[in-house]
Amino acid sequence: MSRALYGNDQLRQRVAFALSEILVTSDKAGSLGGETYALAHYYDILANQSFGNYREVLEQVSLSPVMGYYLTMFRNRKPDVANNIRPDENYAREIMQLFSIGLVQLNVDGTPVLSGGQPVPTYNQETIRGFAHVFTGWVWGNCAVRDYEWCGPGADGAQWFAPMSNPQGNGWDNLPLTYHAYEGNKQLLNYPGVALPNGVMLAQPTYPANTQTPRQNMETALDNLFGHPNVAPFISKLLIQRLVSSNPSPAYVGRVATVFNNNGSGVKGDLRAVVRAILMDPEARTVPTDASGRGKLREPLLRLTQYWRATGATNHTGRLRDWFVHWPGNYVPQYALGSNTVFNFFLPDYVPPGEAALAGLVAPEFQIQTDNNVVGFSNILDGLTRYQHNGNPPTDPNDTYTRANLASLRLLRNNVDALLERIDVLLMSGQMSPHMRTVLRSYILTFNPESEGGYKRVEEALWMVMMSPEYVIEK
Amino acid sequence: MKRRNFLRHTACLAASSAAFTALSAKFNLAHAANRVLLGGEEYRALVCVFLYGGNDSFNMVVPYDQSPYNTYAATRGSVAVPRNQLLTLTPTANGAAYGLHPAMPELRALFNQANSPLAMVANVGPLLHPITKAQYDAGSVATPPQLFSHEDQSTYWSTPTANTIDRNGWGGLLADEFTGQNQNQTLAMTISTDGENVFQAGNNVVPYFLPPWGVETIGAITPSWSEPTNRRNAFNQLLAGPLDHPLERAYRDGFNRTVSNYTQMQAALSSAAVTQYETTFNNLFAPGGAEVDYLGNQLRMIARVIAARSVLQMTRQVFFVGIGGFDNHADLLTAHPTLLSSISRNLNAFYYALGAMNVQNNVVTFTASEFGRTLSNNGEGTDHGWGGHHLVLGGGALTGGPVRGGRFYGLFPSLAASASNPDDAGWGQIIPTTSVDQYAWTLARWYGLPDGAAGRDLIFPNATRFTDRTPSGTGQPHLGFLG
Repeated sequence: MSRALYGNDQLRQRVAFALSEILVTSDKAGSLGGETYALAHYYDILANQSFGNYREVLEQVSLSPVMGYYLTMFRNRKPDVANNIRPDENYAREIMQLFSIGLVQLNVDGTPVLSGGQPVPTYNQETIRGFAHVFTGWVWGNCAVRDYEWCGPGADGAQWFAPMSNPQGNGWDNLPLTYHAYEGNKQLLNYPGVALPNGVMLAQPTYPANTQTPRQNMETALDNLFGHPNVAPFISKLLIQRLVSSNPSPAYVGRVATVFNNNGSGVKGDLRAVVRAILMDPEARTVPTDASGRGKLREPLLRLTQYWRATGATNHTGRLRDWFVHWPGNYVPQYALGSNTVFNFFLPDYVPPGEAALAGLVAPEFQIQTDNNVVGFSNILDGLTRYQHNGNPPTDPNDTYTRANLASLRLLRNNVDALLERIDVLLMSGQMSPHMRTVLRSYILTFNPESEGGYKRVEEALWMVMMSPEYVIEK
Repeated sequence: MKRRNFLRHTACLAASSAAFTALSAKFNLAHAANRVLLGGEEYRALVCVFLYGGNDSFNMVVPYDQSPYNTYAATRGSVAVPRNQLLTLTPTANGAAYGLHPAMPELRALFNQANSPLAMVANVGPLLHPITKAQYDAGSVATPPQLFSHEDQSTYWSTPTANTIDRNGWGGLLADEFTGQNQNQTLAMTISTDGENVFQAGNNVVPYFLPPWGVETIGAITPSWSEPTNRRNAFNQLLAGPLDHPLERAYRDGFNRTVSNYTQMQAALSSAAVTQYETTFNNLFAPGGAEVDYLGNQLRMIARVIAARSVLQMTRQVFFVGIGGFDNHADLLTAHPTLLSSISRNLNAFYYALGAMNVQNNVVTFTASEFGRTLSNNGEGTDHGWGGHHLVLGGGALTGGPVRGGRFYGLFPSLAASASNPDDAGWGQIIPTTSVDQYAWTLARWYGLPDGAAGRDLIFPNATRFTDRTPSGTGQPHLGFLG
């Protein structure tokens, strides 16, 4: 969070957060609760690859023990028919459904391919089983095969920060030489132009006569996945939704997906080019004047980081300890790598009931705009705007509140128009309507400019703006 | 499609509310209205207990007879529940003895008692048509899309058809139909203590998400003294617009709804109608001062809301509680018993809390979960399956209640290993023998939804594809667990 607030690589941090909402892991999973440093390392993978290549993202994520634990691919093992054991399918399913291609075949503009009026599935149970077999035998990076069932991350947990390995050989007694499923043909994805004939990875003799290493098998499988024509529209649309707009036009998705497929130098998956295409698109750079639903509800966590960045917030401990971000009531119902499920805090196709539904709009962020979160966020905002600022400096060394610096806004307390103008620029990209400005002006003027040490007018203006419909919908 | 157009149309009218009120009286299922309103004041509520992650119900209800138990144990291997730990259930399922997981003694007691309030429904799951293994293998009968996927199957468990492309749940659609019967038209009749869910999503009725730990209000604008009042007045001017963007208006509508909901609920929960039961509820949910878990807190809150029903002027409500943690790929033997214990203790407490208010016969509580789990194990747990067993709890039929308890409904599947299992879709994923449509329609039928084109077929268009053909079955799409 410190880096998100103070880093000089803001776009990278913003893209990393977007990626963390697509390639989801979470400390809400029992197996990862308390593994703070491991999760931070996972986040670093995403941040380091924010302008890298999506194929590399998929590989590093697949090899991460954090993801291995989260989607239970870790210590997955090849079939054992005698004991009715077969590979865990969790990661195989989710890497396709959520991290790469989605459920139904897409045109390059993100609209579904229809056959007889119905969407066409991208994969079936056979495909899931095929990938599940590839994702067998993966365990801590320094583990020997004889220790497969019980090796740990090391006394200092160092293996949490290393890619998983797939140890072979050196078995003891009757222990297996490998837990990787070399045997059996694996049905992977089949699509026009697929490199593997019919999308099938052929059976190999088992260790030590194997023809490809488990890592090579994984790379083959990820190439097969990454080669699917869905990857570009699927990931492009998700990134647009996270960065710009809930309802991008198909043309916009198509323009970005085209860049995803080819960055101009024949490279697919170049995220630097993709992010540039997303942010420089005409649809991202103009304010919508119609009912197209462009724009989005600001995520609660992004409202918080925006406010703290705009007001130069600091914490006298030198560390951000946002006590309320982890408050049991989830007043800010979000923190990085903290969603309840692999489906992120909200679904990309969530439709709030009412007018938006009738207009055929999706609004993913509304899924966490629930009664208790509306109430909780506004109450948190009370503390943020009225108490947690430089006008109330810490008196207790154990005070852990992060404080906004409202000194420069306070200087404008006798000039309400200038105060509102400044807040409009800082928080609303200058989009405050005349109506909103008029209402706020007359309300703010009811307070004595010297009230609350001269902060009252600023506090009131900030609360009102950050709760207003015009602010929360980013356009 | 027709249904959706109809509802879209009525929803459009909702924008001009006077016109809508007039028309909704006409559109609201005329037959249902007559039938239910004859009772007038009679209160009815459904409580959905959603077990997110896919409950391993094959370890919740287990064959007890030696030979079928051996089959179960052989298939499940290291994750099988030991036979001598099972809590035996009486009576039997057509002569076959079953046992409950050892973590669930309270529900065993409810099932085994005379006038039992607890029914068990075997092997329920989303289906489009009845389907055999041969048909499944041949792909000759359509199945729900994306079987074995959490998100999709929890959607199809909640929606009235197992291949819908909208995300309206049958709880929300029932609310759309029955909301007109509530005297209070400003409080949502759908209330969730676990936030957003598909089950309660409807076209017109927007659910109220009530925190299980109590009503929360917006401190800056709620108290009645002058500063919050002035702030509220100014803020209301911001909400009043003009707002050009449809999502701005969606935010405004949600905000106003939130304030209306919490204002009403706060007053109702602090009324004597509720506070008179506080001690009773606490003794039931926290016997001896025990810690109340998330499920317990949710069900206790719903008991309080039900206690407030007269104050809130509600005669029809649909509640949702949800708990997670059931996706036991790797920790079935350690995590799952804790969850089953919570279900048993808290459903039992809820049942007796309703009894204390004398509304046991007016409330039916039932479980849902996106899928059962695979019979086969992956070494440490089980994976995403399809069919699973479920629980229905309410007043027993012998004392005029709706539940014909102490019995099993539907058909138990074979628990044999995959290669020799006629119910196995492959890899231990069990083909449901009862569709969610039947299970849901049975509950909706009790709630007051009429048979036929004007009721059942409107919400559950696929229900008539299925027939309860069990030995003592109804011979109809609905099952016999509710009178």
